[in-house]
Amino acid sequence: MATGLSAIFLHNRPALLRFLRARGAGDEAEDLLQDIWIKLEAKDLGPVADPLPYLYRIANNLMLDRYRSSVRRARREEDWATGAGGVMADPMEASAIDERLIMTQSLEEAQAALRALGPRVAHVFRRFRLEGVGQKNIAEELGVSLTTVEKDLQKAYRALTGLKQKLDTE
Amino acid sequence: MMGSQAMADEALLWVIRTRDPDFTDWEAFTLWLERDARHAGAYDAMMARDAGLDALVPPAISPPPLPANDAGAPRRRWGWIAGGAIAAGLVATLSLGLFNRTDIYTVATRPGETRIVALEEGTRVEMNGATTMRFDRKDARFAALDGGEAVFTVRHDARDPFRVTVGNAVFEDAGTVFNIVRERASTRIGVSEGEVVYNPQGEAISLKAGRALIEDASGLHLMAVDTRSIASWRDGRLVYANAPVAQIAQDIARSLDVRLTTTPGARAQRFTGTIRIDRDPVRFFRDAAPLLGLSAHRDGNGWVLKEGDGTVG
Repeated sequence: MATGLSAIFLHNRPALLRFLRARGAGDEAEDLLQDIWIKLEAKDLGPVADPLPYLYRIANNLMLDRYRSSVRRARREEDWATGAGGVMADPMEASAIDERLIMTQSLEEAQAALRALGPRVAHVFRRFRLEGVGQKNIAEELGVSLTTVEKDLQKAYRALTGLKQKLDTE
Repeated sequence: MMGSQAMADEALLWVIRTRDPDFTDWEAFTLWLERDARHAGAYDAMMARDAGLDALVPPAISPPPLPANDAGAPRRRWGWIAGGAIAAGLVATLSLGLFNRTDIYTVATRPGETRIVALEEGTRVEMNGATTMRFDRKDARFAALDGGEAVFTVRHDARDPFRVTVGNAVFEDAGTVFNIVRERASTRIGVSEGEVVYNPQGEAISLKAGRALIEDASGLHLMAVDTRSIASWRDGRLVYANAPVAQIAQDIARSLDVRLTTTPGARAQRFTGTIRIDRDPVRFFRDAAPLLGLSAHRDGNGWVLKEGDGTVG
């Protein structure tokens, strides 16, 4: 690990720990921080431009990953319990085909939902969520304020997550 | 006490903020999390809803709006993040590689085109048509499959495993030849030699030769596959055992430079057997359509597979 990074890690250990606890890690916060430390040491990162936000991001990603794994596990256990899923002999059940039909439908719905919000909102969302461009850069590109970009993103997110929720419960 | 809608709105705001590649105010985020013990859960739930939104949103259909003032041409230097942002579905192992992105480069093939990328002695990636991948100039043990299909032949090194990132999942080799297909909402992997570990940091499912795994919206599915059918596209054949036509159509579209659509009736059918790949679509469908028990018709500048008796035209 870059020596600068380890110094920053040690210096900010209490803050990172506090973050992990607030993030829901509870008693495991110490262990998780230790895992991050080991991973960083194992990886030769070279110089990192902005080390502290980087460390926070790793910690946040770790928590997101844990959340996703726990949701998946819960879903699998539920599948097992109902006998619907788990290990199957056959690659794709009919449900996968339905899935694809629904996908085509939902793509059209998503497109319509974005279109209804206007071309700028759709563009801002794509730039941010699909292409990973920061809000500040998007604001500069379009010559609008940062607040406008944030509001556009909120609108797009509300519409699309609402649609996704609707599709998931259908 | 805050209403659940207000909390969801705040959580959404933090999802947007923390997803920004330039976000730095983690202390403010910590303070928000500490204000209410339920905030962390609300944030996780919103992030879960955020996952997969990229699959829901179609690529741009209209050119971007013009700048409101003379802000100059859109910056191109963010191009390299494009795939990364999707993969930044935020797996910890992946995020370790998120910096130094100038070393990441993208290789893409057109439909019908295949390409071999040699990463180091003993490790190579054979890309099928219509496939997009990212590699790291500084790390020959990294690859990301953003879409399409590829076979990985990997020099095994337990101390420095080869990892493939596919969406939010990571596959780690344990001495291996394996094939991965990434379509919009699903990932399929088949192992023909050795062993692969799926999400070593999470589920850590070990896949030995002859095993396959599918991850899609309905969850994870494990199954047995005939190793001869894995990556048969390299030999100019597509080999199937009771495979849905929906999947076969995707494989065909990757291997031939044609736009191929299927009717719902055709998609619902299944096929067992071997289809020979022929780059000439007329010859290909003349052989393949009767085998599949479908008929193939020209549709504008593409082809459509529908229920039928093997007629082609």
